Amino acid sequence: MGNPYLEMRGVSKRFPGVQALTSVSFEAYAGEAVALIGANGAGKSTLMNVLGGNLQSDEGEILIGGQAVSINSPLAATANGIAFVHQEMAMLPTMTVAENIHISSFPTRAGFIDRKAMEASTAEVLTRLGCHFTPDTRIQVLSTGDRQMVEIARALLSKPSIIIFDEPTSSLTSREKARLFDVIRTLKTEGVTIIYITHFLDEIFNICERATVLRGGSTVGGGLLSELTTADIVHMMIGDVGLDTRSAKHSTQQREVVLKVTGLNRRGVIKDISFSLHKGEVLGLWGLLGSGRTEVARAIIGLDPIDDGQIEINTGSGLHPIRPREAQRWIGMVTEDRRNEGLLLPMSVKQNMSIANLRGLLSRWKLIDNRRETELATHFVNRLNIIISSLGQPVKTLSGGNQQKVVVGRWLELNPPIFIMDEPTRGLDVGAKAEIRRIIFELAESGAAVLVISSEIEEMMALGERYLVMNRGQIVNELPGTSTKNELMGAAAGAAQME
Amino acid sequence: MVQGTQINRFNLTTLRDFLLRQGFNVVLVVVVVFYALTAPRFFTVANFISLLHAAAPMMVIASGLALVVMTGKLDISVGSTAFLTTSVGTILMVRNGVDPITTLVILLAIGALIGAVNGLIIVVLKISPLIATLGTMIIVRGIGLEITKSTTISLPEEVRRLGNASIGPIFVDILIALAIMVIIHLVHTRTSFGRWLIALGNDQDTAARLGIRVNTVSFMSFVLSGLLATIGGVLTLVQVGAASPSIGSGLEFTAVSVIVIGGISLFGGEGSILPGALRGVLILEIIRNGLNFLGADPYAYRFVNGAIIFIAMYADSLRARLPVTTRTFEAPDTPKSG
Repeated sequence: MGNPYLEMRGVSKRFPGVQALTSVSFEAYAGEAVALIGANGAGKSTLMNVLGGNLQSDEGEILIGGQAVSINSPLAATANGIAFVHQEMAMLPTMTVAENIHISSFPTRAGFIDRKAMEASTAEVLTRLGCHFTPDTRIQVLSTGDRQMVEIARALLSKPSIIIFDEPTSSLTSREKARLFDVIRTLKTEGVTIIYITHFLDEIFNICERATVLRGGSTVGGGLLSELTTADIVHMMIGDVGLDTRSAKHSTQQREVVLKVTGLNRRGVIKDISFSLHKGEVLGLWGLLGSGRTEVARAIIGLDPIDDGQIEINTGSGLHPIRPREAQRWIGMVTEDRRNEGLLLPMSVKQNMSIANLRGLLSRWKLIDNRRETELATHFVNRLNIIISSLGQPVKTLSGGNQQKVVVGRWLELNPPIFIMDEPTRGLDVGAKAEIRRIIFELAESGAAVLVISSEIEEMMALGERYLVMNRGQIVNELPGTSTKNELMGAAAGAAQME
Repeated sequence: MVQGTQINRFNLTTLRDFLLRQGFNVVLVVVVVFYALTAPRFFTVANFISLLHAAAPMMVIASGLALVVMTGKLDISVGSTAFLTTSVGTILMVRNGVDPITTLVILLAIGALIGAVNGLIIVVLKISPLIATLGTMIIVRGIGLEITKSTTISLPEEVRRLGNASIGPIFVDILIALAIMVIIHLVHTRTSFGRWLIALGNDQDTAARLGIRVNTVSFMSFVLSGLLATIGGVLTLVQVGAASPSIGSGLEFTAVSVIVIGGISLFGGEGSILPGALRGVLILEIIRNGLNFLGADPYAYRFVNGAIIFIAMYADSLRARLPVTTRTFEAPDTPKSG
C-alpha cells in the first residue's frame, strides 16, 4: 500500500468550553476514497476545517506526500492541492456556469476578463465531469444535481490532489447521487484522494475503500471497508446503546386511529403509502436518506401535490377524508429546517409562538389580546423549558435546541391531535436532543399521535413504539417497538441492498 | 389556434414571457410610432439630437446608479450630489476665480467623497442603503442650499458657452455621455469587478463565501455612483448655465425609474447598462419630449412618469416571481435508470 498521501497526526482543537478534537489521527492514500464518519458533533467538520485552512489546530501536524505542511488559510490549503466541496452550495443563480466557477479569480487580459480562456477551461472541467450543459448556461435553469456538479467543477479548477466532499448527497435524488458516485470513481482513477464526510452508511460501502470513525472528537476506529460491516461501523459511531434509554412501549391495539393514509402516490417519489397512526402513539418512519420519508410527510400535509390516495383524520367524530391542504389544521409539523420552514428569525419568541394562533388570541374588540398572548407564551416556555432572557428576545439569537422548542411551542398553542416530526433533533447538541425527545414523549402521553422521522438509529430506538421501514418511496416493512438495533439497521440496509 | 386549448395556453405563457422580457422595447416602439403619427415635428433628426442632448446628464447618472442597483442596493443621494458639486463648482469659478479644469477635478473628488461616505455608512455601520443614502441626500442638499443661500448663481460666460458646444450637428455632451456609458458597460460586462457586482446582487453571503471582498466591491460601487452623479451634474450645469436649487431636485427618482424601466432589477443581479439603462433613459425622455409637442399640460408628465414606474416595478416583481424551470442535462444516449 505504501505511505499515505495525506496524514493528520495528533490533531487537537479546543473551542471555548468544548474540546472539539482530542489528538485525532487521520490518513488517506492517493487514488482512494476515505469515509469520515461520525454522528453530529463528532468533530468531522472541525477536522476538515483544520485541513481546509478555515481553522487552526492547537496541536498536531499535517503531512502531504510525506512533507509536513502548514495550512493557515484556505488559500494555503488550495496551494497544497486541497479542495473543499461544501455541503451548502455557493451558487450565483443569475450568472453562467463559467462565471460561477471562476468568480473568485477570473482569467484576465489587459484588465478585461478573457472570456475565451474562461469558457475553455470551464468546458474542459465539465467534460471531465461528464456534464452536458455548456459553460454559458445560467445556474438558474440547472437542477440541484447539476448545481452540485458546478460546485465540484469549481473545486477541480485548481487541479487538487485532495478533495473533501462534505455531505454531498444530502440534497440529491438517487439518480443524481449515482452520477456523483461515477464522478468520484473517475477522480479516484486519476489518482485524486477523496475524503467523504457523511453519516449515511449505505453510501460509503458504495464509494469508499476506507473509513475513519470519529466519536466525541476522538478517532474511535476505522479500517478497510472490505473488512467491516455496517453493524461494526454503527457500533463505533454510537457506542453501546444502553437498553435503559428505551421508552416504555405500549400496545397500540386498542387505541383509536387518528390518521389513516391509504394508497398515497406521487409519481417517481412515493408509491402506495398506507398506514394508520393511533392516539398516543409514537410511530417511527425509518429508512435511509432518500428513501422517501420526508416526502411522505410533505405529501400528507399538502406541501407537495399527490397523484392519488386518501388521507383520513379523526376530527372528533370518527375518521373523515380530508384534502392534504386542510391537514395542517390538525397536524403540527416540526422539521429539521427550523430556519426556513418554521421561524421568523428577527421576531421575538412571543410573536413566533403566537403567530399561528392569532385568531385564538383576539379580544372582544377583535384586537390581539396582549395579556393572553404573554400568558400562553410564558406557559409553554416554562413547560418546554425554553431558555430565554425574555419573551421579547429575537428568535435568531437562540440556540438551535431552543429554536426547535419554540417551533414545538407554537404548535402546542394550537394543540393539534397529530404531530409530524421530521428530523426534529438534527443539528442539536446531546442535551437539547434529550429535551426534544422528552417533549415528544409528553406529547404522546397527553394523547397526541406523533410520527417521527429520524436518521439517527439511536433516536429511533429511543422513541419508536412501532416502525415503518421505507425504501425507494415505499413502505417495505413494519417492525415492532421491541426490535433491536441490528434488526432496524438490517431492515433498512437489507432493503437498500436489493437496489 | 385551431389546435385546441393546449396550444392556446402555450401561446399565452409565451406572450406573457415575451412581454415581461421585451415589454419596454415594445413600449418604446409604440411610443415612438404614436408620437411620429400625432406630432409632426417629433420624428425629425433635429428633435432626436435635442432629445439626446436633454437626456445626456441622466445617461451618466443612471449608469452610476445602475452599478449600485446591480449589487441589490440603492443610492438615492445622486440628485443631491449633483446639486452640491455643481454649486461648489460655480462658486469656485465665480467667486474664487478657479479655472474650470481644476474646478472639475475638485468636483470629481467631492463626488467620490460623498460616494465613499455612503459606502462607509453602509459597509461599516451596516445601515440599509435606502436609509443611509436618504440621510446623505438630505444632508448634502442642505450643505448645497447653505453655501448658495438658495440663490441661483450664473456661470462665467466662457464656461456657459460650452453648453452648446457641438461637433457638426451633434452636441458634445451627447458624445461624452455615450462614451461614459460604453466605458461603464465594459466595466460591468468585461471586468472582474463587474461580475462581482452581479455576484453580490445574487446573494451577498454566497459571494462572501466564494472569497469575493464584498465590502470593497459595495464601497467601490457607491464611489463610482457619486463620481458619475457629479459628472451628470456638471453636464446639467453647463446646459442650464447657472447653479440653481432646482438642479438635481427629484433627480434620484427619475434615475430609479430609468433603472427599473431599463430592466435592471431592484432585487439585484440582473440588468445591463447597454442596452438596459440607455433604453430606460430614452423611454422617459421620449415620453417627455413627445408630450411637449402635443402641447400637453406640463404636469401631465408626472402622471405618465408615475404610471410607467408602477408598471415597470410590477414587471420587475413579476419577473422575479416567474418560475424558472430547471432541468437535468443528461447525455442523449444515456438510458433512463430508475
